[in-house]
Amino acid sequence: MKRFTSIVSAAFAVVIAAAYTIAIPVQPVSAQSSAALSIAPKKNYVIEPGKSVKDKLTIRNLDNSSPLQLTLRVVDFTFTDDGGTPKLFLAEDAPQTTWSLKPFMTVPKSVTIPKNGSKTLDMSVAIPAGHGAGSYYSAIIYSTGAPDGGNVGLAASGVTLVFTNIPGKVNEDLKLEKFGAYREATANNPASYLFLTTDEPQKIAYTLKNSGNVTEAPAGSITLNGWFGSPITINNVNPNGSLALIGQSRTYTACIKLKDAEVDFNGQKTKSTACDSPGLFPGYYSAKLDLFYGQNGNRTQEIIGSAGFWYLPWWFIILVIVVLAILAFVIWRVYGWVRVKLYGPQYKKRSSRRR
Amino acid sequence: MNSTTPGATTSYTVSFRYMTPVTTGSVDMLFCINPIPYEPCVTPPGLDVSNAVLSDQSGETGYTADIRSANHIVLTRTPSVISSGDMSSYKFDNIVNPTDTATSFSIRLSSYASTNATGPLIDFGSVKGQVTNGITIETQVPPMLIFCVAEQVSEDCSNTNDNYYTDMGQLDANSTLTAQSQMAVGTNATGGFAIMANGAPPAAGTNVIDAPSVPTLSEKGSNQFGINLVANTSPAVGNDPEGAFANAIPSPDYSVPDQYKFVSGDVVAYSPNVSLVRKFTVSYILNSSQDLRPGVYSTTITYIASGRF
Repeated sequence: MKRFTSIVSAAFAVVIAAAYTIAIPVQPVSAQSSAALSIAPKKNYVIEPGKSVKDKLTIRNLDNSSPLQLTLRVVDFTFTDDGGTPKLFLAEDAPQTTWSLKPFMTVPKSVTIPKNGSKTLDMSVAIPAGHGAGSYYSAIIYSTGAPDGGNVGLAASGVTLVFTNIPGKVNEDLKLEKFGAYREATANNPASYLFLTTDEPQKIAYTLKNSGNVTEAPAGSITLNGWFGSPITINNVNPNGSLALIGQSRTYTACIKLKDAEVDFNGQKTKSTACDSPGLFPGYYSAKLDLFYGQNGNRTQEIIGSAGFWYLPWWFIILVIVVLAILAFVIWRVYGWVRVKLYGPQYKKRSSRRR
Repeated sequence: MNSTTPGATTSYTVSFRYMTPVTTGSVDMLFCINPIPYEPCVTPPGLDVSNAVLSDQSGETGYTADIRSANHIVLTRTPSVISSGDMSSYKFDNIVNPTDTATSFSIRLSSYASTNATGPLIDFGSVKGQVTNGITIETQVPPMLIFCVAEQVSEDCSNTNDNYYTDMGQLDANSTLTAQSQMAVGTNATGGFAIMANGAPPAAGTNVIDAPSVPTLSEKGSNQFGINLVANTSPAVGNDPEGAFANAIPSPDYSVPDQYKFVSGDVVAYSPNVSLVRKFTVSYILNSSQDLRPGVYSTTITYIASGRF
């Protein structure tokens, strides 16, 4: 009986211990698909009502050792913030947006790409006859499978943003919300417009609110005039053709001085740009913005804006203080000398006695 | 342009739509480098329209050409109402092409009720052209986005260690569990890219280990799951981004050493424009309290790489 009780107790202890295990040892995982891919990040079409476009999606598997198994689906998206990052509606039951391209787009549901290989998939966008003009957009998301095992599994997805403009009379409405010198976000500070800065600004930005029913990519120029130096003109303030989505307040930034570089991307030459120091003199700067936007077949519209900012580096502030201090001292000394000249040296003696 | 050869004498056909159906008596055509109407007009080098002849017109017709200078033509007619919004075209012979193949040029168009292009402006716009030296066949690299994720990846995504999960070990209120994974990303698209992390914090059934929504120090003895994309010292886990090109960076909230956060859908890394492939190491921390309910806590984090618009 005692032996039976011991066995049962031991077995019970094992069961309890197993129940209180809160992590299990690593399990060997079954053969896993690659998670290394190359895709087209964006597609743009102009399609008239009643017409369609057939295109190709080329996907490359970059992994040298495993095939790439992908599922494809179309999801809607909108903007995340005032930048160009999409906010994807990934839920299966997400409501369709009013600008959704989902009903008109056809893509395959899955694909397997051999290691270090590529595949070209057919896709199409067909706009029904009589459909209204405007901008429509959705995203194709390519997903690898979820892994087995471990506390934290890793999965990769790529996204192609698909934009379609249906030409015709549209409602275009862009309004300038903000304009001026700009500082990008850092770990400690959010992005912000600047009126007074001690660091040399390298960017000018403008924020446009899109209340129309089309995406917009404005074009234009900015002119900077300071106390010193010649005017600076930024000729192309939207070089990438960045879009303001429907309903978005989009902030566009432009480098005051651009630095071009040619880089080798995946064996091909590609042009890259970055901001360079514009060499601004201290002082007050006024900025003038002149923008144009408009879809084909609609009136071109213009936006004009103006702003100003102070650039006062610390060395300049210190220099001004020192100069003012020297000036004050000189004035005081001159004042004393003039008093002596007017009222005689006794003024100097009287002044000393009063002290 | 019938010919795009620099310096050649050729014919231009300028086509546009009148937007405003009002009485129109003249159209001003000013040939400049810059299409912006309020900017000073710089004549494209070599261009000469002083001998231009209006040889054909369709749509809104009845115009004659008044040549004002080497870069300025005014079409003039007896003022009449614009009858339709259809395309109108005007062909000019004997125009001498510009000679600079590196710069495009524009024709600034504006319409007026008067017959001499003065007074209130009705519509304005511009068209662009460019001369080239013959036909050059060249291939163009299409925009592409390169992305890979695994426990370890090579910088060009050609190899991974084929491990797509990370086991953090046994939860203990007195210690912080850590792990790391890697991802490499790059693009030649001028709009750049963004990487978003999607998923839920580790859970065992309905018991969830919370994740801070702002960058927070790791705290033993509290239920906490977070990530960041930089090298940390407390605990010692992770690496700073690798790769010579600094266009691609972790998002501000995920770039603070020793501070962690996880909000599903957050952008964890991005580049505002072209970026060579850069490798990011994601650091994971997992803390648990004494009273955490037992179970197998797990999650799947999906990293989504997207172009920017």
